[in-house]
Amino acid sequence: MGYVAVKGGTKAIDASIKRLKYERLKDNEMLEVRTILSSMRGMVDRVMSESSLYSPFLAALAIKQAEGNMEEAVFLMRAHRSTLPRLYYSQIAESESMLVERRISASFKDIPGGQLLGASRDYTHRLLDFDLLFESVVENQRWIEEYKKDFERIETADDLAYFPKVVDYLRDEGLFKKYEPDNTPPADVTKKSLQFPSSRSARLQVLTRGQTGTVTSLGYASLRGYGQVHPTVGELRVGSIPIYVEHPNEVEKDEADNFYIGEIKITEVESFVPVTVKNESNEDELEFEIGYGVCYGQNETKAIAMSILDQCLEHPDSNFPTHDEEFVLLHVDSVESTGFISHLKLPHYVTFQSILDSIRQVKKEVQQDEN
Amino acid sequence: MKRRRRTEILVQGDPELAKHFAEMIIDRYECKEIIAPQYGLTMIKMRESAKNSLFYLGEVLITEAKVEINGCVGIGIVTGMQEQLAKYLAIIDAAYKANLPETSEWYPRLIEAEQQIRKAKAKEQGELFETKVNFETMDT
Repeated sequence: MGYVAVKGGTKAIDASIKRLKYERLKDNEMLEVRTILSSMRGMVDRVMSESSLYSPFLAALAIKQAEGNMEEAVFLMRAHRSTLPRLYYSQIAESESMLVERRISASFKDIPGGQLLGASRDYTHRLLDFDLLFESVVENQRWIEEYKKDFERIETADDLAYFPKVVDYLRDEGLFKKYEPDNTPPADVTKKSLQFPSSRSARLQVLTRGQTGTVTSLGYASLRGYGQVHPTVGELRVGSIPIYVEHPNEVEKDEADNFYIGEIKITEVESFVPVTVKNESNEDELEFEIGYGVCYGQNETKAIAMSILDQCLEHPDSNFPTHDEEFVLLHVDSVESTGFISHLKLPHYVTFQSILDSIRQVKKEVQQDEN
Repeated sequence: MKRRRRTEILVQGDPELAKHFAEMIIDRYECKEIIAPQYGLTMIKMRESAKNSLFYLGEVLITEAKVEINGCVGIGIVTGMQEQLAKYLAIIDAAYKANLPETSEWYPRLIEAEQQIRKAKAKEQGELFETKVNFETMDT
């Protein structure tokens, strides 16, 4: 089926775009980018993650421009990203260097270093807080002062605490398989289209930039029986990791001569998945494998769901859609899926007319035969 | 002081420090702008902890600038849209490359700023530790 372009409509399109602006402005309320940055963390994080571009400021601007429409905000960010040159590649970022602000385990009550709830909605009542209707800047300021005052009793430690990985302890105990560092250069799906069978690096890149809803739904589908992975969260951590860049021209390479360029906040999950393997005597034995999930910002559901899908795709199985990499990886991207679905509403007059003509012709022939 | 340590201090600390250092150099030397502050991307390479392999996490917006002093090119790179800071960082980097005498005077200021940063982070961490949890399993 071929596509035929339409022309004209310029005046109406101009008027429609004006109307769009009018809809945003008509109530005389203005949302500042800094307000979005400060008060819509969840949304900003999702837009950065799904657009694969870490910039809270640009994400907040995109949210404002898109009037909170997530797919549009992600589209705007991806489009903007395509206008920027890629100047550097970072040195390998490792989450051991994360300054943790939240770290929990659903597998072990006592993890080395302890569990840190951080800022979480996990244990809140999901009741609408009508007090927020009467919130005032002065009262909020007073609340912050009291909150901070309560910390005056805390003695500040001399050094910062960096948390070890839970899985490292289990590896040391021989409960999990140890892997030597694999420094194979990663695939980059933004440079070369996804090829099947895909590499692990390509899979992780596609999943981490996947649409939150889709990644979550597919992860959920796997748990419900459309897959064979039911994990327990071994460790979930949220915090900032430092990013370093090597000097582009210096011949002598020394880590101490790298540039520190800033930090990014991420959520990282290691899920423990029981699998049955054959031992040396060809008997079934239970072993654990790790599903890995990570994404920009604090988006725990997405990171957990990604860890499920990572594990699913490590074990291809055509009986289950969530173990089929083409099914999963070709449908999780926000811009690809929303773009294709929404293009259906754009003019398809000629294509549709030709289908209609064919049906009319068939009906006419049937009528003639009956007569 | 090596670049990694000093950029950690200058990027994380009070931006006034980078401004102060850079202005000191601008007043005394000719700083030739090679690349005016420009926005670009850095692709983040990350190691995952399941199979210990590498993958690309995504890109981060950066501002980059390049400045030449006495034939030595300095680079300033910082995340986000920070044109002034990128330029200051480039000037400071060029100053170190050119071995300008001012750089040795900066050492104590950098150490002091480093301690302040560490203290602020430790304070923040101490506050977060208030959310440390110790669940107890119930007898069934």
